[in-house]
Amino acid sequence: MRTLLIILTLALPPAVAAEDTGIVFIGGGDWELPIVREDTGAPKRVDDFLLDVRQVTNGDFLDFVRANPQWRRDRAPGIFRDARYLSHWPQADALGDGNAAPDRPVTRVSWYAARAYCREIGGRLPTMTEWEYASEKQRETLGVSPEDYAHELFSWYANPGAGALRPVSEGPPPGLGIHDLHGLVLEWVEDFQLVLGRGDDIDLLTGSCGDTARFLPEFDEAHYATFLRFQSRSNYQPDTTTSTLGFRCAYDPE
Amino acid sequence: MKLFTLTLMAGTLLVAVTQAETPNSGHAGHDAHAHHTPMQAEPVEHGHSLFHLDAAWQTQAGHVFKLKELAGRPTIITMIYGSCTTACPVLVNDARRIDRAVPDAIRDELQVVIVSFDPARDTPERLADYAADYEVDPERWHFLHGDPADIRTLAAMLGVRYRDNGDGTFDHSNVVTLLDAQGRIAERNEGLARPVEPIVEALVTLRGSRQAAGMAAW
Repeated sequence: MRTLLIILTLALPPAVAAEDTGIVFIGGGDWELPIVREDTGAPKRVDDFLLDVRQVTNGDFLDFVRANPQWRRDRAPGIFRDARYLSHWPQADALGDGNAAPDRPVTRVSWYAARAYCREIGGRLPTMTEWEYASEKQRETLGVSPEDYAHELFSWYANPGAGALRPVSEGPPPGLGIHDLHGLVLEWVEDFQLVLGRGDDIDLLTGSCGDTARFLPEFDEAHYATFLRFQSRSNYQPDTTTSTLGFRCAYDPE
Repeated sequence: MKLFTLTLMAGTLLVAVTQAETPNSGHAGHDAHAHHTPMQAEPVEHGHSLFHLDAAWQTQAGHVFKLKELAGRPTIITMIYGSCTTACPVLVNDARRIDRAVPDAIRDELQVVIVSFDPARDTPERLADYAADYEVDPERWHFLHGDPADIRTLAAMLGVRYRDNGDGTFDHSNVVTLLDAQGRIAERNEGLARPVEPIVEALVTLRGSRQAAGMAAW
């Protein structure tokens, strides 16, 4: 089913396809992560990829858990998830209200669980580069200034809204057609453990101000706002689950 | 596969003893310092079994292999890529040094797993050549080729970070890990050309505590 949708996506202009299939085509290009790596030379090539228009919901994930009961919270091996995995659901195979409602982004999922979900539907987690690339392209398409981007992120970080999450994909799809890249929950990426460049000895969480400065190509608010996202990624373990971390899937073009 | 292993078990000890007498070949090199700084390993979970990873790997002999086949015996496991000329030969040699340093009774059972994170280049055929270069016991040494997503999963379980630099090289953590007979991480050596004693002693302790409890050796 997914394969069919992907082919359809490629055959149609992205904006139309996104509405119909829930997957948007992201055209690749030369691009460099907004965080300076020590080995940065020429810009890196980002290949074309496909990305879910919206974050995976509790409803989506319940379907997955029912079809793959080894991922129920009472059966998933402890090595694949911490003790809070899906703990906001009232039962191991039932949803509830509020943040456990079917239309809310699924949270309290480990990297292992998120990858298993994406693999099941023929996809994968986006790489960190792909995710950041999509975010930047979306910002450009929307014409959001770096300052406004930074201010929106800072206000979200200051109040991440774990208390009461909105449903995913409210309103028309913005920019490239991707909902909720910022402002709902953070998202897993495939290579979240690879924050920095070659031979990174720096722990982003404990790095000194000097270290922080080293990673920023420009000392402006937008780069600092982006840096904070990298910093939170560096705090995760693959079995981590939190109330502010969900995911969406990516796909390779056929 | 299992029957095959058992029938050859009798010959294993002889092979192991022969190997122990072989002097360290120059293959592994003694340059413990990689040309670039390795990635620090991540902390790992010690209480849970890696055998939950149900991935199908391929050995250097072309056989399908699952980690749970290691159950009941201790395992040394490390991750490398075959075209690596700096750290990886040292890691494989570190595993071999441990293999040679343990008492015979432990070596008979000890499994060694070397997993490549370069599946495009490290085909089972190439891993067979690699294994032959090291002159290790092919019944106990498993050089594994796998699916990229499974390799990433296993690396996360072992706390091994790696990155494909896109030029045939990988940045990676240097970790040699000991799994107990249930697949749990019992001991880790991070770094290159580390002393073998911590893992050898952990193996002796694992075996001793099982025997003291009147259980089977592992």
